[in-house]
Amino acid sequence: MNFKQESEFNVNSSSLKDIRNFARDLFEKVEELNDYKEELVLALAEAAQNIVKHAYKNQPTDDLLKVIINYNEKTLMMELFDKGNAAIPENIKPRNLDDIKAGGLGTFFIGQIMDEVIFKTSKIDWVNHLILVKKF
Amino acid sequence: MSYKILEENNISTVYLNGEIDMDVTDTAKEAILPLIEAGKEVHINLKDVEYMDSSGISVLIESHQKATELGTKVILKEISKSVLKVIMMAKLEQILNLG
Repeated sequence: MNFKQESEFNVNSSSLKDIRNFARDLFEKVEELNDYKEELVLALAEAAQNIVKHAYKNQPTDDLLKVIINYNEKTLMMELFDKGNAAIPENIKPRNLDDIKAGGLGTFFIGQIMDEVIFKTSKIDWVNHLILVKKF
Repeated sequence: MSYKILEENNISTVYLNGEIDMDVTDTAKEAILPLIEAGKEVHINLKDVEYMDSSGISVLIESHQKATELGTKVILKEISKSVLKVIMMAKLEQILNLG
């Protein structure tokens, strides 16, 4: 089964649950994704959380963020678009796990779960474009 | 997320429930940290936590560190499968007290 679905969400912490539910509903429909559902939902939600925390620094905004989930030929692509502060990919690094501290784990989780993480900043109408890829 | 606290002798058990993400971490901290600051041993029951992200893990780390600093302890009890998976992904199973 192949699918592509997109939706837009408010940029705030209350939207994270809606983003998770949007993804869960899609993954439940595809047998090969269902087994990885919670990990994939976690990766997507961590990426969305990073937009709220870092691209918008937790500040209220009327902006929306867009999520596109595309499953085709056994490849899942989750894309997030936002208009917050431009991300500097070189500065986005997973935390060293030997350094036990609160925070900084989200990027590490994304890297553990996904096969590829691609940052783009040139998309028309958006500032940041993050692509998370998992091959099955 | 919702929570309840049960006090027995000098042990406070915080039962967390639902999904723990950045939207509810302040509530979780407000429930847990004052108990630790009061010098109590705190058990955090995670049986009914269906989802936890890095923000939730941060609450567990902060609670553990605060307890260590104050000479008491935080023990995680009845950890749900989904939460355990995230704790292990973060390689924290040897750091946090899993009871």
